[in-house]
Amino acid sequence: MGALLVVVAFTVPLFVELRTVLSWVGVELTVLESVALAAVAIAALLVWALWPESDGPDSSNAG
Amino acid sequence: MSQSIDESTQTTEIGHDEYDPVGTLALIGLYFLILVALWIFVYFVEFLGNDPTVVTGSALLLAGVGHR
Amino acid sequence: MSNTYLDQFPAEAKVVRAAFYSSFFALAIGGLFGIVQTLHRTDVYRFMDSADYYTVLTAHGVLLAITFTIFFLVGVFTWAVTTSLDRGVENLRFTWAWYGLMVIGTAMAAIPIFAGFTDSIDMSASVLFTFYAPLQGHPLFYLGLVLFVVGTWLAGVDWFRSWRAWKAEHPDERIPLPTFMVLTTTIMWYIATLGVAAAILLFLLPWSLGLIESVNPLLTRTLFWFFGHPVVYFWLMPTYMMWYVMLPKFSGGKLFSDPLARVVFVLFLILSVPTGIHHQYLDPGIAEGFKFIAMTNTMFLLLPSLLTAFTVVASMEHGARQRGGTGYFGWLKALPWRDPVFTGMALAGLMFAAAGFSGMVNAGMNINYLVHNTFWVVGHFHLTVGTAVALTFMAVTYWFLPQITGKALWSRPVALVQVVLWFVGMTFMSNAMHRAGLLGVPRRTAEPQYEGVTFEAAVGSVGELNAQIALGGVILTISLVLFFANVIATGFNGRSDELPSNGYADALSGPEDAPLVLDNLKLWTAIAIVLVIFAYTFPLLSIVQRGGLFGPEVITFPVSLESLAPIAAALEYGGLATVDGVASAVTGALEPGRIAIAEVVR
Ligand code: HEM
Ligand SMILES: [Cu+2]
Repeated sequence: MGALLVVVAFTVPLFVELRTVLSWVGVELTVLESVALAAVAIAALLVWALWPESDGPDSSNAG
Repeated sequence: MSQSIDESTQTTEIGHDEYDPVGTLALIGLYFLILVALWIFVYFVEFLGNDPTVVTGSALLLAGVGHR
Repeated sequence: MSNTYLDQFPAEAKVVRAAFYSSFFALAIGGLFGIVQTLHRTDVYRFMDSADYYTVLTAHGVLLAITFTIFFLVGVFTWAVTTSLDRGVENLRFTWAWYGLMVIGTAMAAIPIFAGFTDSIDMSASVLFTFYAPLQGHPLFYLGLVLFVVGTWLAGVDWFRSWRAWKAEHPDERIPLPTFMVLTTTIMWYIATLGVAAAILLFLLPWSLGLIESVNPLLTRTLFWFFGHPVVYFWLMPTYMMWYVMLPKFSGGKLFSDPLARVVFVLFLILSVPTGIHHQYLDPGIAEGFKFIAMTNTMFLLLPSLLTAFTVVASMEHGARQRGGTGYFGWLKALPWRDPVFTGMALAGLMFAAAGFSGMVNAGMNINYLVHNTFWVVGHFHLTVGTAVALTFMAVTYWFLPQITGKALWSRPVALVQVVLWFVGMTFMSNAMHRAGLLGVPRRTAEPQYEGVTFEAAVGSVGELNAQIALGGVILTISLVLFFANVIATGFNGRSDELPSNGYADALSGPEDAPLVLDNLKLWTAIAIVLVIFAYTFPLLSIVQRGGLFGPEVITFPVSLESLAPIAAALEYGGLATVDGVASAVTGALEPGRIAIAEVVR
């Protein structure tokens, strides 16, 4: 659980700077679009990690 | 002296000689690569995108003097 | 039965507790001002007069960068010396005396700062935490600072006394690592504070008392930065100490190398002070050559920083592998991410790594011109002192609180959320500050919006950056509230018998592997002093030669708002001749009032 929380937190800087990086290749995101993109990505991450059968980053010895 | 709170979760004891910090090398290496990449990026933004500043200016001056 | 620090050293635990609570008090008030100024300068919510902004900013800077950090670290150092030497302080009264002196000093400095909010008391010290001339504060402010610093000096005497007494009984033993770290840091601090002591006692205090008519502003600035750079190591070295001697333990492992840790602290002792001029790259009146020397010394500081990164990560990895972690990166999963102490310190270290990059930009003489005195710099040091140091201190508090109160922490989940929120909030705030700085948005400005000047954002807009800064500030404030909730609620808990024991991490490679010369403190002190003499004699001489010991002429700020008008006019005239727009930015900065002139002079 703890590791998952940190992984989610770690996506924040990535998405904050994603806008700038994409603008170099000519893709201009609005704030709303970046937020939506981040929300989708984090949701996907959570589903993957918390899916019952999966062995996500949240294995029991992760503390 | 030390008593780790999480001692219960410790599965193995790794001594000085068995321990090889490859993960650390991988992480620090990655950080170093990012640092160098950013440094080069700054070089392009700052030095090639702008007029000479004090240091580049004096370097150019010296180069100019050298040519004569 | 538990074997906490409180059980081992009940009397010393009280001193440490008092120091920590003083530090948290400063953090609470300073943090409150942090959000006030964030909302003000981003124009999200303004409820005070913009002239008061500089009083708020002074309180924020002094309370957080000086009071919060230093009270916390004297507590940590006292814990470290007593624990690692396994002996109580030599004289408890003396220990309380230096703590009391620090409290009195803080109160004396705070009175004129806070009096700046009201006109009914004729007193102010809105001189920002850098307090050099031409800004002038009430004498009480300088006297308070002096007492505070003298308090820290006596604290150092206390730690050295403990070590001396211990050494008499253990003549052939190596200095235990935590004590070694305390002693090297203290020597560094003694050398560094000579700069402020001289600046205050010889110039600023007599000047504010009216004993001398003027000062040489460049001289007081240089003396300030003589202290102002190493003071960051006074915050960082205790932070590193926590990373070296505590983090491995929380990761479930051992410190990778005791000798390497000693080398790092010796390097910091030697290299911290002769670098201060790197804060003055834009000061006219200091020759480029001196600045170049400062830059070179600064780059040498990269060495101990990289050694630290390596040793600390390797110690964490050792813990992870002992907990069953495998692979090049897979071991990261085996770390105790649910433990707020570990996670907070690890996130603090991660942000420090990011700060390494913006620091490289600041340190380069050329690139510094791009970001000097912009919001970029504020973004940078909220990653260093505002996160690497502050978040480490908050995280490790969750371990220390039970040790010094004998009570279990109120809530570990809340603590975990708190440290993660700090990381997220600081990501938003600091990132946008860096970006705004690249656009030229200045720091220390109540209303950074000027007629005739627009900042062109590369991506998005300045409005979006401001919103991001405000969002980050709000998240940080929530994080602070959670922190205090935990500290206060822990105080209301009952005594517990099942607390972890006091202690710190063992080392994989112990002190027996470290060359003896590392413990030769006299040698390193001598080298440090020689380097300082090399780096500073000529700059100081040339500053005095050009500008006089007490300044070339009488200029005193802040006198009144009226006296700013002619200066502003002069600046505008001069400015128009060179860069259109900069001048109006300058006059814009003058409007809010007294203090913005500092930016002009800088
Ligand atoms: C709630 C958390 C915080 C918020 C919202 C915050 C916000 C700010 C802002 C917006 C400024 C820049 C104002 C300007 O230049 O006009 C500032 C300056 C500063 N902050 Fe913070 N900050 C926070 C926490 C901290 C912490 C924890 C520290 C240090 C331990 C710190 C140290 C400083 C210092 C030294 C300055 C510079 C003051 C000056 O320029 O004189 N801040 N802060
Ligand atoms: Cu510095």
